[in-house]
Amino acid sequence: MEKTPMMVDQRIVARGRYYAGQAGSIFYRALRDRGALLASRCKRCARVLWPPRTTCGRCFSQLTEADMVPVGPGGILETFTRVAYAEPMHPRPAPFYYGIVKLDGADTGMAHMIDVPDGTEPAIGMRVKAVFKSERKGDILDIRHFIPE
Amino acid sequence: MGKSTADAEPIHIDMTVDVPYRFAAGTFMEKFLIELRDNGRFFGVACPRCGRVQMPPRVVCAPCGVENDAWVGLGPEGVLAGYTIMYLPLTDPTTGKPHQPPFVYGSVKLDGSDSVLDHLIHIEPDPAKITVGMRLRPVLKPRAERIGDLTDILYFEPAPGPARRR
Repeated sequence: MEKTPMMVDQRIVARGRYYAGQAGSIFYRALRDRGALLASRCKRCARVLWPPRTTCGRCFSQLTEADMVPVGPGGILETFTRVAYAEPMHPRPAPFYYGIVKLDGADTGMAHMIDVPDGTEPAIGMRVKAVFKSERKGDILDIRHFIPE
Repeated sequence: MGKSTADAEPIHIDMTVDVPYRFAAGTFMEKFLIELRDNGRFFGVACPRCGRVQMPPRVVCAPCGVENDAWVGLGPEGVLAGYTIMYLPLTDPTTGKPHQPPFVYGSVKLDGSDSVLDHLIHIEPDPAKITVGMRLRPVLKPRAERIGDLTDILYFEPAPGPARRR
């Protein structure tokens, strides 16, 4: 028997296709074509939900395109984590920060990458803003990252 | 939603989940994999109480809850215990690469074992030509290419001779 424990390397790859649906498609088209961020406003609960959807999860109101409102691009960093390990499924090499940003006008948060100047850390409650790519293709990485406002 | 929405371009986003991982084989699986790699042989372990032979080997016999202690040489031939014809490109967990469908994936009960090993079966994907109980033999990579995981087995193929059931 070998002295060092035997390690076995394996790899799972799952290729999938996410269908954004009615509300999601409106969101991604607006993001791609206009660099706009949309959320769904439920008139009954007076909540603004991101990502936009066709049903309010609390009161089950049907939400339509007419209920969509612009949010952001600024917002407040609600929480964050520092990614210290590299994984192929991450959109960039480690280390970097993921955070949840409550966009201005929204009541729920968006997870995305947070970039702060070298030598500094994000802080909960800080103002941040979305930075959009110039060439956008209709996915969430059309937002490059959030940076301090 | 309104007509304008239904007529509008639906958005879909291709995503790939790619998870490389590493596990420690442990003492029993390590012996199994090293025997496979170095000697091209299959080993299981027998339970001292019920005599059940497990392959791949486990430290504990699950029904009895006692430690397995006796190594038993198995196969290398065995019988097909069950199979499926895959029409989707199943991802091989050892490489992360998909297999080109259609292909046959089956459970092989090696001679002397009470459990099965799932692997590729090299046979025409036609139910008329596949029989549960048919005799199979493993085809391994050449010694120099074996690395000590289950890809050291290329596939199982029908053993020569008349088809036998058991």
